Amino acid sequence: MNRGTWLLGRLAQIVPSFLLIGVVVFVLARLLPGDPVSAVLGDRASDATIARLTAQLGLDRSIFAQFVGFLSGILRGQLGDSIAYRVPVTRLIGERLPATLLLTGFAMVLAIVIAVPLAFVAALREDRWPDLLIRGVFQVGLSTPVFYVGLLLLTGLAARARLFPVGGYGEGWLEHLWYLFLPALTLAFSFAAILMRSLRSSILLVLTAEFVDFARSKGLPPRQILGRHVLRNALIATVTLVGLHVGSLLGGAVITESVFAVPGVGRLMVDSIFARDYPVIQALTLVLAVLVSLAFLVTEIVQMWLDPRVGR
Amino acid sequence: MKTIKGLTRRAGLALAASVAALPMLGISGEAQAASVPVRGGKMIFGRYADSLFLDPVLNDANVDIWVMTNLYDTLLQPTADGAGVQPGLATKWALEDGGKKLVLTLREGVKFADGTPMEASDVKWSLDRARNPKLGPWGDLVGSITDVAITNPSTITLTLKTPDPTLLAALATFNTAILPQKLFEAAAGATDEEKAKAFAEKPVGTGPFRLSEWKREVSMKLVRNPHYWKMGADGKALPYLDELEFQIVKDDSTRLLKLKAGELHGTELVPLTRVKELQADPQIRMELWPSTRVVYLSMNNRPKLKDGSANPLSNVKVRQALNYAVNKDAMIAIVTQGQGVPMTSYMSRTTPLYVKQDLYKVDVAKAKALLAEAGFAQGFETSAMLVSGNQDQLNIATAVQQMWAAVGVKLKLEPLDNASLTKRYRAEDFAMRTSAWTNDIADPGQITSYFAYFPNIGSLHTGFQNDRIDALYKASLEEIDPAKRAAQYREIQEVYAAQAPILFLFETPYAVAFRKNAEGFVQIPLGNNLFEAAYVTK
Repeated sequence: MNRGTWLLGRLAQIVPSFLLIGVVVFVLARLLPGDPVSAVLGDRASDATIARLTAQLGLDRSIFAQFVGFLSGILRGQLGDSIAYRVPVTRLIGERLPATLLLTGFAMVLAIVIAVPLAFVAALREDRWPDLLIRGVFQVGLSTPVFYVGLLLLTGLAARARLFPVGGYGEGWLEHLWYLFLPALTLAFSFAAILMRSLRSSILLVLTAEFVDFARSKGLPPRQILGRHVLRNALIATVTLVGLHVGSLLGGAVITESVFAVPGVGRLMVDSIFARDYPVIQALTLVLAVLVSLAFLVTEIVQMWLDPRVGR
Repeated sequence: MKTIKGLTRRAGLALAASVAALPMLGISGEAQAASVPVRGGKMIFGRYADSLFLDPVLNDANVDIWVMTNLYDTLLQPTADGAGVQPGLATKWALEDGGKKLVLTLREGVKFADGTPMEASDVKWSLDRARNPKLGPWGDLVGSITDVAITNPSTITLTLKTPDPTLLAALATFNTAILPQKLFEAAAGATDEEKAKAFAEKPVGTGPFRLSEWKREVSMKLVRNPHYWKMGADGKALPYLDELEFQIVKDDSTRLLKLKAGELHGTELVPLTRVKELQADPQIRMELWPSTRVVYLSMNNRPKLKDGSANPLSNVKVRQALNYAVNKDAMIAIVTQGQGVPMTSYMSRTTPLYVKQDLYKVDVAKAKALLAEAGFAQGFETSAMLVSGNQDQLNIATAVQQMWAAVGVKLKLEPLDNASLTKRYRAEDFAMRTSAWTNDIADPGQITSYFAYFPNIGSLHTGFQNDRIDALYKASLEEIDPAKRAAQYREIQEVYAAQAPILFLFETPYAVAFRKNAEGFVQIPLGNNLFEAAYVTK
């Protein structure tokens, strides 16, 4: 099978999974106790007011009719209006998605920048003090809740030392990066710990491989051995890990976005679930599913590049 | 208050009178302007949540109501103590025809923020929209109006079905704000709701500010309305600020950190447990504004619960016993670190016609005796719903749980997310729930129709029904003799206190924190955030 066909096959697999995700989220949202109308209007509204809004939103139709409306909306590119905010869902998500993407992307880059060199140091000094220190620090990072790390960074580096803004998003790309540094670092912290540990053990494993002995016996300089042979082979497992973690990074963004007042989709998702804002929950789940699927696809492509055996 | 000097004389006097009455709760802030107002500049205010829909008629949330007064004006305005009305877009008003007609004189020279003059037709159209029962949840507040007529370009005459003692307060309530008819009707959309959506994205009113930019859930930028009619202390038009920016920061800790770091000038909804810490901060001024907020537990008063089991709470002696078993002062110390006062009626002290009741001073022996009389000497088990993740409600519920344990009543806590809780509450499938209330109108009628008058929503869905209260409330709707109406409300409050359909707890202030260089903000008991006279020094 050539790679073009393989890619097309992968893309074809994504379509039914979206359909499935669409059905599941549609049903799940409606299985939650409570409904958007009483969530919006509260417990003081009269029954007549509740009935009027329910009819207006089309929530008095059968579940099936609502589902058909939802599906045909998607096909026409219309995801409906948010019940709580009364604006089109696409606008609501469009305004917030960039911040979340930038935050998770930034966190990923930071995690890699932190984890890769430290993994090498730790692996090459296995069980000596640098290794123990690095692993010790990351163990703490891994076991500290994200919101707590966030609050510590906020209080220490932002509120006290005034090195960074306390929260927000700023205006323009440079400010965005400036405002997002602490939240991205928070998000990167536990992820870097996982990456570092995985990469460290891969490096250790690769270092014992025969081709490394061969490269050494050829007289290749250590830098070239590490850079070309060890890193590339050790990275295969790590890339898989990075790809698989896109989802949990997006999940972690929910908390970081709250603590750092970043206007992303994470907080929107939580608020929408509490408000039973069906259109937002549905659309956002689909968008996140697209993102995660794309991340998986990119992961596989990178794997293919790193390891020619993949995809054959 | 220096800021009132330049107001029109009537408004100034009314404001002065009402501000003098502010420290009634003994918890008023250090809100008195300490310096001479400065013109220009920008204030950044941190909000806990963004607005949803800035249409006065169709909105239904405090996040909208509490900021709308910065954009729109009403014909009358609530006084700063929330108890009376003062001139707004109308300068004079007179009742005629035995209270069945109200004649209002419109203020001259009022312009909308876009520079077009406000006309009598805008007023008629806005009031007709506000009283349309098909639009929004607030129509009932002005339900007594049967006709709005333009008598001449500066006079509006309202005709009423029956005399309405709450009408003046209603004309000072957000939903009767005056909007520019032409601009609204020119907005995109076919229906009123669609037009309102489009209009409310960039609302234009006669208020002190105009909305210039709104990034949902991020920030809202308001700029000075150069045509505003109210005068400042320096004899020039308000507001003092050129720009007012609301930043949305949902996390309480982050919002306060931003305030401390100087990234915000002020912020609302400071958790009451952090008030003392901020009072000790030399850069911060803590303002505690008297509110209409009452915190209580509603009880199901029906003989049987939804699951068919017998309900001890249907016995008035049990409800009284449970009230006697709770130490409100200890509760206030635990939940709010002392930033509250015990309830002394179902309505707050700031509500007009409030009458202080002797509400169940803690008496465990009496509670036990009442339980024994009711046949529950050994106590019983019941449950209370609360919103999960809400620390205040959890603190309240656990404190009640411990206090009731002393009289043998076992309270099971049921934490639920808000939507699920609301659903069960509306279905009357509950024994108790933690709750809080704020008034939307400066009148005892609204809270009474929800708390005590059965036909509205079954007395907060408790099922409590008292014929005397229902009759008194109905009579009060048309009672325009203030003394008689006051007597009616006195009796309603007495009967309600004795029947104890709820667990009375405490009142809390609005806690707002500002940096010392930001002054002049006012929050009235109804919650309205007034920035018209706010300013930033330095």
